[in-house]
Amino acid sequence: MIKKIYLIGNPNVGKSVVFSRLTGVHVISSNYPGTTVEFIKGYLSLGDKKIEVVDLPGTYSLGPTSSAEEVAVSLLKEYPRNEIAVINILDSTNLERNLLLTLQLIEEGFPTIACLNMCDDAVHRGVHVDIKKLEEILQIPVISTCAVTGVGIKLLIDRIREAVPVSRDKLSHEELWKEIGHIIEQVQHLEHRHHRLREVLEDASVRPLTGLVMASGIIYVSFKIVRFIGEFIISRITDPFFYGTFQNLLEKLTFHWQEKSFLFHLLIGDLVNGNIDFKQSLGVLTTAPYIEFGMVLPYVISFYLVLSLLEDIGYLPRLAILLDNLLHRLGLHGYAIIPVLLGFGCNVPGILSTRVLESKRERFIASTIISIGVPCVPLQAMIIGLLGAFGGFYVGGVYLVLFFIILVLGLILNRVLPGYSPEFLLEIPPYRFPPLAILGRKLYFRVKGFLIEAVPIVLIGVLVVNTLLYFKLFDIVTGIFAPVIHGLFGLPKEAIVALAIGFLRKDVAVGMLAPLGLSAKQLFIAATLLAISFPCIATFIVLWKELGVKDLIKSTLIMITVSIIVGVMLNFVILR
Amino acid sequence: MKKISLVQIKENRKGKVIEILGGTNLQERLMNMGVYKGKEVTKLSHIGLRGPVVIKSGRSIFALGHGVAAKVILEQE
Repeated sequence: MIKKIYLIGNPNVGKSVVFSRLTGVHVISSNYPGTTVEFIKGYLSLGDKKIEVVDLPGTYSLGPTSSAEEVAVSLLKEYPRNEIAVINILDSTNLERNLLLTLQLIEEGFPTIACLNMCDDAVHRGVHVDIKKLEEILQIPVISTCAVTGVGIKLLIDRIREAVPVSRDKLSHEELWKEIGHIIEQVQHLEHRHHRLREVLEDASVRPLTGLVMASGIIYVSFKIVRFIGEFIISRITDPFFYGTFQNLLEKLTFHWQEKSFLFHLLIGDLVNGNIDFKQSLGVLTTAPYIEFGMVLPYVISFYLVLSLLEDIGYLPRLAILLDNLLHRLGLHGYAIIPVLLGFGCNVPGILSTRVLESKRERFIASTIISIGVPCVPLQAMIIGLLGAFGGFYVGGVYLVLFFIILVLGLILNRVLPGYSPEFLLEIPPYRFPPLAILGRKLYFRVKGFLIEAVPIVLIGVLVVNTLLYFKLFDIVTGIFAPVIHGLFGLPKEAIVALAIGFLRKDVAVGMLAPLGLSAKQLFIAATLLAISFPCIATFIVLWKELGVKDLIKSTLIMITVSIIVGVMLNFVILR
Repeated sequence: MKKISLVQIKENRKGKVIEILGGTNLQERLMNMGVYKGKEVTKLSHIGLRGPVVIKSGRSIFALGHGVAAKVILEQE
């Protein structure tokens, strides 16, 4: 009687895609090792029973050598062997490397079924596998699938019950590899073909000179596309809606309201020259939705579109190779670029994915750097929207300051913290081109995740702030902090409210700066401070969970110090 | 025949792994990925000074940090 089904396989063989197909639960999958850092559960209907399916992090063998692998192996042993089924997912294009785990699973007596995934890619690359023969040799069911299109999944489900323990002699590591060599000779046939464009590009991107040229090109083009799509959505879709339909609606709705009444203040906010100003009015129905849907959402869509594409093609690990040298000096290794890039979307998944790094020290450095020096998309969108009005030069300046902070902070942390930066050892995936439907789904789930997370907080946040402002309850706080904020950073005392709101959400915080009529210099300082100072509440909680209280305090102290130093430097030295 | 480390071997050259220096953990990690004694690997590239080394082993491509690469000793014909 099967009570649990485990999905196990080498990193980056498409386990998460198979999992989504089996359970209907959407999980983020990417073309690089380590996308799944936690085990994820879902349910599969088998006959009239619902069985739990667990997607385990990728592992090369049953002898765990990393923490993700340990998790996978310990989970496998939770239930008696006769109550589980193990679906071993293999990459058809690279059978040799994948078979080690398969043989180990069989040796250990797990009821295993082998799922040769990515069969379409194998055909493209001229790799032919004799499934019948492999089944004969391994004595377990072998099914060929292509999870991204769904081919073979039904057959896989039908045959799960055929997974039974098979007895097999235990071999040493070396003997196993020899055995695998024999198996490959019998079942795999490689068609000789000339290098195609894809292989040429794969090769060029890991060589120093061509790699750097490609990397600069790809990063430049990515930025351009993100800006282009973001601006396109704003100018063609969201702005016409807000300034047309929505504004008319609001004006009709509030025609009879008293301008100074509490409700008017709460929902519409202050009129600018007798009109609603979506950027400055600060009402629950005006600025709050405009910030989220009119300024931030367009960039969330364009950023995640480009990031998802880069992820699924498999470019990011190649970027990691090129940046390894630089990141080593910051106490990290090349692979840390992945959490950092995710952090540019939202700090929360960025910090969560620092789990791909091995040591606690690395994870501390990476998390601290992300929460201080990496602005999330909502914050960036607002900085571009507001500061960009003074000229692109200022926006570029903020990025430059943040980049400089990351460098200096990393160099110092690497020096001060005891320990060393481990070497990296990483498999580089081949380029793959995901079907558009898969890309679209991933984008949909990411955007949906953003909306669910952001919209309630923004609406409630603006509601609470407006209430406090109306009854002038902020005055006490602003009074206390005014000397600090004015004396050190040259900001008006009202800016303290915005900086405090930054703890809730960064985009709203920048939005609150809009009506203050700040100069370019003041806005520059305030925006930079918002980026480096207190991470928003969601990031803070994740930092706490991932680092523990002690390291969270350490990280927070570093952040406060950096904020003060940078704020003062900008105010008195750099922007004088 | 000469013994040479993955760092020293020239790009696009093949060699047979004859020794992996360093702890059992490293040996095991490499072995699990299919880089073991007797395996023939090709060095694809070496990024900058003290940067990572990229190799092809079977149908897989791996990037090894400089320190790891220095510990993989090959026999080159």
